[in-house]
Amino acid sequence: MLLSLQWLREFVPFEGGAEELGRRLTMLGLELEGIHRPFAHLEPFVVGHVLTCERHPEADKLSVCTVDTGDGDPLTIVCGAPNVAAGQKVPVARIGTTMPDGLKIKKAKLRGVASHGMICSERELGLSEDHSGIMVLDATARPGESLIRVLPLDLDILEIGITPNRGDCLSVLGLAREVAMSCKLPLALPEVRFAEDGPAANEIVRLEIEDPRLCPQYFGRVLSGGKTGQSPAWMRYRLQACGIRSISNFVDATNYVLLELGHPLHAFDLDTLEGGVVVVRNPRGQERLVTLDGQERNLAAEDLLICDAEKPVGLAGVMGGLNSEITEKTVNVFLECAVFNPISIRRTARRLGMQSEASYRFERGVDRGLSEFVVNRAAALMAQVSGAAIRPGICKAEPCPLVVEPVRFRTARAQALLGATLDAEFCRETLESLGCRVMEEKEAWTVVPPSYRPDLTREADLIEEIGRVYGVDRIVPTLPNISRSLDAGRPDTEYHFLLKIKRWAAGLGLNETINYSFVGDRDLDALALPETGRIHIMNPLSSEQNVLRPHLAPGLLHALRHNIAQGNSGIHIFETAHVFSADAASETTAKEQGRLAILLYGNRHDSFWPHKEADADYQDIKGIIEHLLSHLGLGEAEYSLVDGAQACPYLLPCVTVRIHGVAVGHIGRLRPEMAEAYHARKEVWFADMDTDALHALSREARARFTAMPQYPPVRRDITVTAPAAMPVRAVIEHIRGLKLALLEDIVLLDVYVPESRPDERNLTYRMTFRHSQRTLQDSEVDKIRESVAQSLVKNLGVTL
Amino acid sequence: MDSIHALESLAPDLEKGLSQASSLQELEELRVAFLGRKGKLAQIMASLPQIEPDKRPLVGKKANEIKEKLGALFDARKAFLDKAAEEAALSRFDPTVPGRAPWRGTLHPITLVMSEVVSILENLGYDVATGPEVETDYHNSEALNMPKDHPARDMQDTLYISPSVLLRTHTSPMQVRSMLARKPPLAVIAPGKVYRRDSDLTHTPMFHQIEGLLVDRGVSFADLRGTLTALVRQIFGADTRVRFRPSFFPFTEPSAEVDISCVLCKGAGHVNGEPCRVCKQTGWVEILGCGAVDPNVFKAVNIDSEEWTGFAFGMGVERIAMLKYGASDLRMFFENDIRFLHQFR
Repeated sequence: MLLSLQWLREFVPFEGGAEELGRRLTMLGLELEGIHRPFAHLEPFVVGHVLTCERHPEADKLSVCTVDTGDGDPLTIVCGAPNVAAGQKVPVARIGTTMPDGLKIKKAKLRGVASHGMICSERELGLSEDHSGIMVLDATARPGESLIRVLPLDLDILEIGITPNRGDCLSVLGLAREVAMSCKLPLALPEVRFAEDGPAANEIVRLEIEDPRLCPQYFGRVLSGGKTGQSPAWMRYRLQACGIRSISNFVDATNYVLLELGHPLHAFDLDTLEGGVVVVRNPRGQERLVTLDGQERNLAAEDLLICDAEKPVGLAGVMGGLNSEITEKTVNVFLECAVFNPISIRRTARRLGMQSEASYRFERGVDRGLSEFVVNRAAALMAQVSGAAIRPGICKAEPCPLVVEPVRFRTARAQALLGATLDAEFCRETLESLGCRVMEEKEAWTVVPPSYRPDLTREADLIEEIGRVYGVDRIVPTLPNISRSLDAGRPDTEYHFLLKIKRWAAGLGLNETINYSFVGDRDLDALALPETGRIHIMNPLSSEQNVLRPHLAPGLLHALRHNIAQGNSGIHIFETAHVFSADAASETTAKEQGRLAILLYGNRHDSFWPHKEADADYQDIKGIIEHLLSHLGLGEAEYSLVDGAQACPYLLPCVTVRIHGVAVGHIGRLRPEMAEAYHARKEVWFADMDTDALHALSREARARFTAMPQYPPVRRDITVTAPAAMPVRAVIEHIRGLKLALLEDIVLLDVYVPESRPDERNLTYRMTFRHSQRTLQDSEVDKIRESVAQSLVKNLGVTL
Repeated sequence: MDSIHALESLAPDLEKGLSQASSLQELEELRVAFLGRKGKLAQIMASLPQIEPDKRPLVGKKANEIKEKLGALFDARKAFLDKAAEEAALSRFDPTVPGRAPWRGTLHPITLVMSEVVSILENLGYDVATGPEVETDYHNSEALNMPKDHPARDMQDTLYISPSVLLRTHTSPMQVRSMLARKPPLAVIAPGKVYRRDSDLTHTPMFHQIEGLLVDRGVSFADLRGTLTALVRQIFGADTRVRFRPSFFPFTEPSAEVDISCVLCKGAGHVNGEPCRVCKQTGWVEILGCGAVDPNVFKAVNIDSEEWTGFAFGMGVERIAMLKYGASDLRMFFENDIRFLHQFR
């Protein structure tokens, strides 16, 4: 809402400046969003008095003028306007003045005559489109006076954010009420004086309202014999300053009153209305309407139309029809001042994408109690600017009379809710200063809010007003004692588990990323993810963000691409977030699952030296997952190669991680042909873990103490030569399967691929033996090692 | 008595040799020459059987004395050389060689700020609640006193999955879910992702919020002021000034927005004579929205608003992070450039 300080002062004698007004309104809940000076560019212009005006000796269409601009010698200015004449007071741009279009006025020679400035038209000053001649100022203006002091301009415009509950503040009057209330200043409404003449309005136009719920009140006036034309300057400049384009005197008058009093109005060319009737109704059959902007509108059954006896002539509360538009031929006008159902207006305006100043106000509720004053004010203004006669009386249809429900109010409740000491006197004064009628009773008062505050319907609304006027910033802060249940305070939510994982990952050296939850279908197609189960956004911002991610991979790969493009190397990033898939059984139609994804790319270490330079590989990503699982107390997992097509079609190889048979995630390498799209030239290693499953498993995992062994271990190494295809794990599992009582642990110590036999691997394992009650003898351990060796040769077909 | 003489001459001989030995290797050679199995001491001792039996104990005793003395000489020289070697090594030690550093991992600035705020509120007695990001219109709007066709819906541009399912536009549906799940009194915070159909310099379609809700008997707006003042001071410092302004949210009544004194200009409105770019010269920056729980919300979750009162508040995590770290471009938070991620602790 753009509020002119100068306009406001016509309602309330507020003497402070724009900044102070802004501060006051802000603390009343009407937030200042900015201060504009729409005519600041006019500051360097001055009033000039044209002393002489002669025909240019070399050019018929040019005049040579001497102009007094108040400071010493008159200036010689060459002017091309047809209307320039001696004796006029005119706006002058002197040498050095910058014009609104950015042009700087310099000394110039026009056909041999030196010109020391420019006499300006309204268009050149940015005041209107009028370029038919120079602007002629009031004869009382003094030469040298600043132009902005002479013109009736609204110099200070405040942009105020109006919250949806305060439709009453969408006008100068509404904001003036707030200022008057808060500064304890008197409020004055504009004086409305007019004469009525001729036949009564309701003999000219009859009103019919089909559905009272959609149009509870409809007022109208008839004006006759006016002349369409340009509005007076004061009106045009004011509308311009408040962001409204001047159209014609009739239309400008309705817009002026809309801004001033907050009540939308519409002017119809009366002579285009057939049958002497205005009907408010829903569309019939296949009716169509071309609106003022020239668009043909498809009407829905729920839209509300203004019609004459034959046809629709306007879309109620949204936009008028082209067929009843005010034109330069208009002489007789029907002025509408109606109240429409907010929901109906909102639906129509949204469906057609045509929010207007009018629909915006109707949606938020207009003041029915003011309608009569509004229609009179608008008619008087219209008569003033067009010369029309006002026909006697107001056409009125009021199928639903205005009823304001009283509200119960208890000062004790206000005190308790606000936590401030408020005496009854203050509450009563405040409510009355807001326009409420207060009927005091012992405990609960009866309060009748004013018609312009349809938002005050409950006690809480009144308490809010009390707090607002008292000043929410004045309430003394206290810290509440929070009463809690006995089982409260166990930090074991999804949030806490994920935070634990994030801290583990950061401690390990991974960088946390946060990516958008939506990606494009193309991202999912590129990773060969299935189309079924995808959740699409109905109204996406773009096709790159039209589907909720079913995997974290696309987001992390975007981050990878960004980092590669920035020249960053050695990327080791992770993310924890929800992934989404369609689930008809869910209340939200979506299944959300917590995932952790880790991506490794390029350099294994941050710096090359003293580390050996190498790229991250399978063992790096697997090591991280092993570390995670042990961090969560989940023990050993099973890693098995799977066909990734089902779970992670973008991974090859794809390894499933299982704990006690439960799959908790996948690790693997991004398929090279897919990596290319992300400009990844090195291997991209990936882990995708189910944090919901990990959370559940880690809840069950209890840490238990075991006594440390007291006797020393004996270690024996064993090296086998195995086919390259035999997994490292096979030997370990076989040895474990032997159930050797003294075997404490077995680990892989070394892998060696002989150059001459690349199909084989030499695998060295270390076995640790220990007896819990005594020191072991070398000889007994040697015997066990020998039996292990024989068993491996016999059962696994390896050689020693 | 040649043997005695020979033994006694060993110590001065060794001393002479040791004084010239400058390395551990030379020291070892001397040790072999004097104390080795075929060394000088051993040779003298080898002749012991030829000595008259009555002299033998004397020679033997002497030999032990000498052996001990030689040993001490060696130890002294070895200690001297070890020390010299240690000193030499230390003189070559370069403390400026790069370390074999492990990766330095980082938490995202959003996580850092979120966990800071959450832990402050947990200490004040709030429990964390989490919930779905895909929400029903009922939880996200209707139960929060935003009926369909209400202008308050203009305040948030929504991304829809279907006409009745959407991406939650705020964490406030967790108010509804918490009140439906538990009976009052309850003190809950809900951190999480939220979504709006908005993308420009100062808006991203996804961002993070932390919601707070307290429902109990006798909760007042003064309690809300106290809670948020405490919270803001802990985040931004004890000298931070806090300002409450009346505002409007459909699900709170009365409602307020909270400003803090500008983190850059400290409320002055300008920095070194230049207009402050953070607060646009107002001296205040908006930090969160709050209010007393609207009776219509209580009604939707079957809580008697005569018996119970409550307050709710919500804050944007990105907003706090930008103010706290002085980051100017919101979009960087979601580009995940590791040079950006490395800047926050």
